[in-house]
Amino acid sequence: QDMLIFDHNTAVLGTSWFTGHISVVLFSGVDFLMEFKPKGKRPPVLVDGVTLNGPTLDIREAESFLRDAMPIIMEEAVRKATDVKEKVCEWRSPEQLKEVLDLELRDGGEANPKILQRCRDAIRYSVKTGHPRFFNQLYAGLDPYSLVGRFITEALNPSLYTYEVAPVFILTEEAVLKKMIEIIGWTEGGDGLFSPGGSVSNMYAVNVARYQRCPNVKELGLSAMPRLVMFTSEECHYSVAKAAAFLGIGTKNVYVIRSDKRGKMIPAEFEKQVQRAKDEGALPFMVNATAGTTILGAFDPLEEIADICERHSLWMHVDACWGGAALMSNQHRHLLKGIHRADSVAWNPHKMLLAGLQCCAFMVRGQTDILQRCHSANASYLFQQDKFYDISYDTGDKSIQCSRKPDAFKFWLMWKALGTKGLEERVDRALAMARYLAEEIKKREGFRLVMEPEYANVCFWYIPPSLRSTPEGPEFWKRVHVAPVVKERMMKKGSMLVGYQPHGDKVNFFRQIIISPQVSREDMDFLLDEINTLGKDL
Amino acid sequence: MSQLPRFWNLGWSSFLDWWSNSPVVSEQESSPLYGQQQLNETFLDHGEGQQFLTKAFQVILEEVLCKGTDVKEKVCDWREPEDLAALLDLELRENGESQHQLLKRVQDVAKYSVKTNHPRFFNQLFAGVDYHALAGRFLTEALNTSQYTYEVAPVFVLMEEEVLSKLRSLVGWTHGDGIFCPGGTVSNMYAMNLARFRAFPEVKVKGQWALPRLAVFASQEVCHYSVMKAAAFQGIGTENVFKVNVDDRGCMNPEDLCEKIELAKSQGAVPFFVHATSGTTVKGAFDPLESIADICERLGLWMHVDAAWGGSVLLSNEHRHLMKGVERADSVTWNPHKMMLTGLQCSAILLKDTTDLLKHCHCADATYLFQQDKFYDKSLDTGDKSIQCGRKVDCLKLWLMWKAVGSKGLEGRVDRAFAHVRYLVEEMKRREGFQLIWEPEFVNVCFWFIPPSLRGDENSPDYQDRLSKVAPTIKERMMKQGTMMVGYQPHGGRVNFFRMIVISPQVSHEDMTFFLDEIERLGKDL
Repeated sequence: QDMLIFDHNTAVLGTSWFTGHISVVLFSGVDFLMEFKPKGKRPPVLVDGVTLNGPTLDIREAESFLRDAMPIIMEEAVRKATDVKEKVCEWRSPEQLKEVLDLELRDGGEANPKILQRCRDAIRYSVKTGHPRFFNQLYAGLDPYSLVGRFITEALNPSLYTYEVAPVFILTEEAVLKKMIEIIGWTEGGDGLFSPGGSVSNMYAVNVARYQRCPNVKELGLSAMPRLVMFTSEECHYSVAKAAAFLGIGTKNVYVIRSDKRGKMIPAEFEKQVQRAKDEGALPFMVNATAGTTILGAFDPLEEIADICERHSLWMHVDACWGGAALMSNQHRHLLKGIHRADSVAWNPHKMLLAGLQCCAFMVRGQTDILQRCHSANASYLFQQDKFYDISYDTGDKSIQCSRKPDAFKFWLMWKALGTKGLEERVDRALAMARYLAEEIKKREGFRLVMEPEYANVCFWYIPPSLRSTPEGPEFWKRVHVAPVVKERMMKKGSMLVGYQPHGDKVNFFRQIIISPQVSREDMDFLLDEINTLGKDL
Repeated sequence: MSQLPRFWNLGWSSFLDWWSNSPVVSEQESSPLYGQQQLNETFLDHGEGQQFLTKAFQVILEEVLCKGTDVKEKVCDWREPEDLAALLDLELRENGESQHQLLKRVQDVAKYSVKTNHPRFFNQLFAGVDYHALAGRFLTEALNTSQYTYEVAPVFVLMEEEVLSKLRSLVGWTHGDGIFCPGGTVSNMYAMNLARFRAFPEVKVKGQWALPRLAVFASQEVCHYSVMKAAAFQGIGTENVFKVNVDDRGCMNPEDLCEKIELAKSQGAVPFFVHATSGTTVKGAFDPLESIADICERLGLWMHVDAAWGGSVLLSNEHRHLMKGVERADSVTWNPHKMMLTGLQCSAILLKDTTDLLKHCHCADATYLFQQDKFYDKSLDTGDKSIQCGRKVDCLKLWLMWKAVGSKGLEGRVDRAFAHVRYLVEEMKRREGFQLIWEPEFVNVCFWFIPPSLRGDENSPDYQDRLSKVAPTIKERMMKQGTMMVGYQPHGGRVNFFRMIVISPQVSHEDMTFFLDEIERLGKDL
């Protein structure tokens, strides 16, 4: 093995190859080690001990790994995970699960068969949210078209800041937003973007509303502003409080408006709170109205709220993350009557429309560049002004993020597959299913509706036989507290998943959410039977 | 509100009357109608759906992954926005489309998308593809869960904890906290919010009005982007971000930091947060963390290190010295979706704190998610640490890749990227027309290409103006031909220059040679 001082120029460009290793000391601290192979092959280049020839990744091996992984995903995470005969979850305690998963990350890598086994384990012990009996959250079910859209974006790995790197996804986002804006009913048009979650969409709303009222808040901060006050109902999502804290407004400056017994904001109370803020010398600037509250599925009266907002020049934001889907249905869109008067709307197609996490649109009304003005930071390395195409397509500076996932695309593909009609049918079906369940609950002994559902949230108590003769009083309500035990039993059995919570002055009740088009009437009957089976001895 | 459903007109009870009298209730096999809905059967044909998934996967494998990473194929297939919009037929209509049509759409999307996995995609701080991570991402999408409770994401709650602890150990912390965020900008926002909360816990309830005017410090290199977005979004105000001078290489000058802190105080503002950067976006510069830590410790300021880009050097024994002193920081942002190739998004905010600051700062105690009477250890319901509610699972892809490649393998990738840069820089120095702007410290190679017509013309009055037009023109040509993609920008008084980023393990030294040849070819007539 010869070690020679070698002219770098020759080493790289030379045409006569030698066999052996030649170390080339070129500049301080760096060794170029040239390993020459005879004829034909390009000479490998070693820099700092690293071979730079050819990719390190064997594309064939990689492809075959994916070909092996895909049937596992299809069989275990798609087919079996949506099969009603399979379990919804395979409960393990955290300690057991840590043991099974062997989580530790080590110096050495593992062979592909081992990695495939790890995929199987991850699937086995994950909750099957696509299962027809997963009723636990405001998302459920699995749409194959959306899933294809998600596989495409994962494989292409674009970031949605410029037309340059994400031409297709910039345009599909625009097309989806345009359609959603049309469905909201903003005839004057609108602007928007997809954000990482409804909470972030609501934060956008607060920031944009604040900026519209006090444009110099961006530069000067809140210290230089009068005290700002925003309004929301007591039934609103907790993200409003998170937004107030995160944006420096403070949770105390969110004035909470009482709701009626169906969970809807009381407009008169709203106006009172506005007056209170004004009397205190604070500056009221926005209201967060909710279309589809998290627990009760209630819709605030948007028309009346809009009237008050107009009277007091307040920004009207509608958190329709959950309830927005009703807009797809001619039969149910009356629930959001007046939404066209809102200044901004948050709507999550990843919930009832099954687009898959995350898919959350935030939209503002009218021909406006407020998103851009409010959030832009003009990074010169992304948003060059001398590009050769129309830079209005570089929408990334509207966002508070830098890199951003192309979340609209899966929704676009699914919408293409199903059509507006197909989406409408899903919503109609989910709400019909909720009505069916509510009627069943009324018929059955031991079940009591918390209230008539208006949307896909069916809230009810289960009264175990031991309590059925107890007169309704404080003692009765104290003992109705059975949901946690029923929940524990269903999770350990893996038969289904449904949520519960205490709410206001009401003790723990179940909140059944119906979304997935895969759910059938038998699943509703099963739900009630199963709760009774699990809880009848309590 | 055009049409009311037919049963709505009659009232719900009349519908029920009809239904309970109709025979369908007792017959399981027939389909009862409920508001014109058939409720017995499922409404989704999974067989058909799965068939489509299988076919689409073939297209993804061939078009995106095989062709998209093939050096002989184009990086992009440029179309003007209007033309592309027409080609894609974007409009969403009343009726759905056939599988055949949809597969064609999948193909179109693959064709007209930029192949960020291509070995000649050098345009952003991400590039290349790791197949184990990709399997993790497919799996994450199929499992579709949200990372808020152990109840719905048992595997991922534990996995996130493990991955965060591993990342923290590389920072040099045995304990601490952290969370995955939707992007580095949001991670940086977390840091600023936590710092404000630690200094003034009352801010959460009372807002900024209960506080004095606050002052944030960051180097002028990074002041243009996420720090500004964070200061604006959190109500601190961009004017309260004090720009600290940098040296020639773009590293923060600690003496000037002290001066800027004094300046802020003299204006009546209260310093609370220093935003240091490990790996700046354009230059790839590393701020001197030890000196910054000295200052922060002395004055009791929160020290944040934005290592979204540079954090990966911590994997390499050879290069981790670039971040010497990082263990003295209070928080670190690190995006494995950049140099570690996990795929977007994968960004962690790591904290030294052991007092549950993250939870206290962000919690809202939603009763419907974080029930206090659950049957398992509630500390595993980590969702209330987040400013989000639903949160994507970003840890599985990183964990799976790490298991497959091992720490050693990840280290090898980092070392290889550095080696590529050394090679490229030496090549550049030997070629006429390439003017390196700084010796790179990291994997950002910033340079001007001086076309033959401009060489030797440095002193002419329109030289800068003419030079500034070179990069945009070359960029346009490369995109229209689809041969490669590399970024450019003006920066700090310098006219447009290229910023070449080398990270993908699919890149070989031939791609470096190609890169230089191609710039020469595209720009020689300018």
